[in-house]
Amino acid sequence: MSLLRVEEITKVYDGLRALDRFSLNVEKGIIKGLIGPNGAGKSTLFHLISGIEKPDSGKIYFKDKEITALESHEISALGIGRTFQTVQTLSNMTVIENIMAGMHLRLKGNLLSSGLRLPWTARAEKGALKEAKEILDLLGLLGRWKSPASQLPLGKQKLLELGRALAMKPELILLDEPASGLTSAEGDQLKERIHQFKRDGMTFCIVEHQMGMVMEIADQVAVLDNGRLIAEGPPTVVERDAQVMDAYLKRKRSDA
Amino acid sequence: MVDSDKKQFRKRDFLYVIPLWLLSLIVPDADDLYSFRSKEFKRRELFYLGALLFVPLIWRDPHFHHLMVLAGIYAILALGLSLFLGYAGQISLGHAAFFGIGAYTTAILTTRYGFPPFLAFLISPFVAAVAAYLIGRPILKLKGYFLAIATLGFGEIFQVIVRESTVLTGGVIGIFDIPFFSIGGFSFDTYLKQYYLTWGVLLGLFLYSKNLVRSKMGRAFLAVAASEEAASTIGINVARTKLGVFVIGAAFAGFAGSLFASIMSIANPEAFSLNLSILIVIMVILGGMGNLYGPIFISILLTWLIDILGKYQAWSLPIYGVILILLLIFFPDGIGTRLGIRLIYLISYWSKKKRRDEGKV
Repeated sequence: MSLLRVEEITKVYDGLRALDRFSLNVEKGIIKGLIGPNGAGKSTLFHLISGIEKPDSGKIYFKDKEITALESHEISALGIGRTFQTVQTLSNMTVIENIMAGMHLRLKGNLLSSGLRLPWTARAEKGALKEAKEILDLLGLLGRWKSPASQLPLGKQKLLELGRALAMKPELILLDEPASGLTSAEGDQLKERIHQFKRDGMTFCIVEHQMGMVMEIADQVAVLDNGRLIAEGPPTVVERDAQVMDAYLKRKRSDA
Repeated sequence: MVDSDKKQFRKRDFLYVIPLWLLSLIVPDADDLYSFRSKEFKRRELFYLGALLFVPLIWRDPHFHHLMVLAGIYAILALGLSLFLGYAGQISLGHAAFFGIGAYTTAILTTRYGFPPFLAFLISPFVAAVAAYLIGRPILKLKGYFLAIATLGFGEIFQVIVRESTVLTGGVIGIFDIPFFSIGGFSFDTYLKQYYLTWGVLLGLFLYSKNLVRSKMGRAFLAVAASEEAASTIGINVARTKLGVFVIGAAFAGFAGSLFASIMSIANPEAFSLNLSILIVIMVILGGMGNLYGPIFISILLTWLIDILGKYQAWSLPIYGVILILLLIFFPDGIGTRLGIRLIYLISYWSKKKRRDEGKV
């Protein structure tokens, strides 16, 4: 069953086609890898799916419901969580509050009941604190739950951002370059966690600049170049694909 | 950072360390939700509560009581703006308008329509909140400087409306002889009674605010301030959150305005000019962003300062300005931001800075 369906979306920035009639299918319960050189349109795709930007044309469906025109917060409420390429931890909060902020939609409370701390909101807050500690424990961040989020090293902030997305209990998580800036030990830990959450029934969509991690953990890989899909399939097949090598080699040549 | 500083401590550092340490015992810290010395906090809160209850009974000077009433009214205003500016990170330079709406609602309802003051007191914040809702929907889409200009404009327009609609508001002269606040025949007609009334209302609103910022709503405010993008991807409705906290801030101002009208017995346009809007913003900034205690403390300090400077007549404004500038230079984060520099940390920060200036680090 297809969880997320992107149909022929186009996004143009100042005449530059970031995405050009791009289509993608993400089935439920898999890890989908998206790779491509810088500027291939990977992050743009995530911005469009999560509703931060709107496509110029094309449609996006989540669980067979069209989400193209929905607001970003409505899309997250449907069950799509995400992280950002440049980490966006909530720097004015502590580590644990960052996780609890991710539970926003699942907690009871409004301006009146939270302000009066009515019994059910107080209960919800207590439960949230406990649950947030469990998530932090899972990510190996429990030791620093009291520190301001901005004081964590970059790798830990990436994990924290993942934790915030996980706290939403979404069905689909979009990870934008989760492994960049992580030490190899942290990277291994991240892989392990992603596998664990996949077993729990979560679906992942992972963008990476480098092939390494995605090829190891993804069930399916899509390759983007210049806003177009140039290859798709299981990692082993894609790796052999001549066009993929070409997109990477070309980039390497122009870098040099 | 802190550890290495302790080793390098020198005797003469105590010259400013001891006064700062003493100050940090009295001056409130920002209260972050789960991390910061909760026992110490509870003890300090009890101390504040005790001081609020008993100091006016011991120090029986009507002028002091009157000043504290004023300070309490400012504190209610600052508390409301602290949620909007200090937590949600949005600027408003028109907050005094909601204070005016509260004051005039009470003034008009009690003098023209004979409403009991208590009922007017309950209606005033509601009217201010409705006004904030109507204003907030269009202008809260703006950010930063643009929001500052828009709210400034709103405040000024409201001034003009009040000055011109003479029939309803009494124009420039305003409305006089507003009855004292009373509940069931008990009239708050002395400064001491008014003190307990004002600070009682403030205490209630403070507890409400404190619960609010310690809940999912508080985290939503902070998330909007940190990153609207990130906030919206965890399901926070940014527009509604901003509107909500704007309306709450306005309702607080409505309470303050109503108290002002029924305690001072007067409502005129002078009372809610741009000066007041800026004064509240200064209180929040000096009190510390994301700090509920700080703005209250600063409102007492500034009210007291303005009163003392009043003796110097024409010099009062320049001196006041210089003091504000000095405070902002030496305490750019105010009394303490939520997770940032606190007074107690300044001790180590200053000793380090001093050595750095001497070229020994």
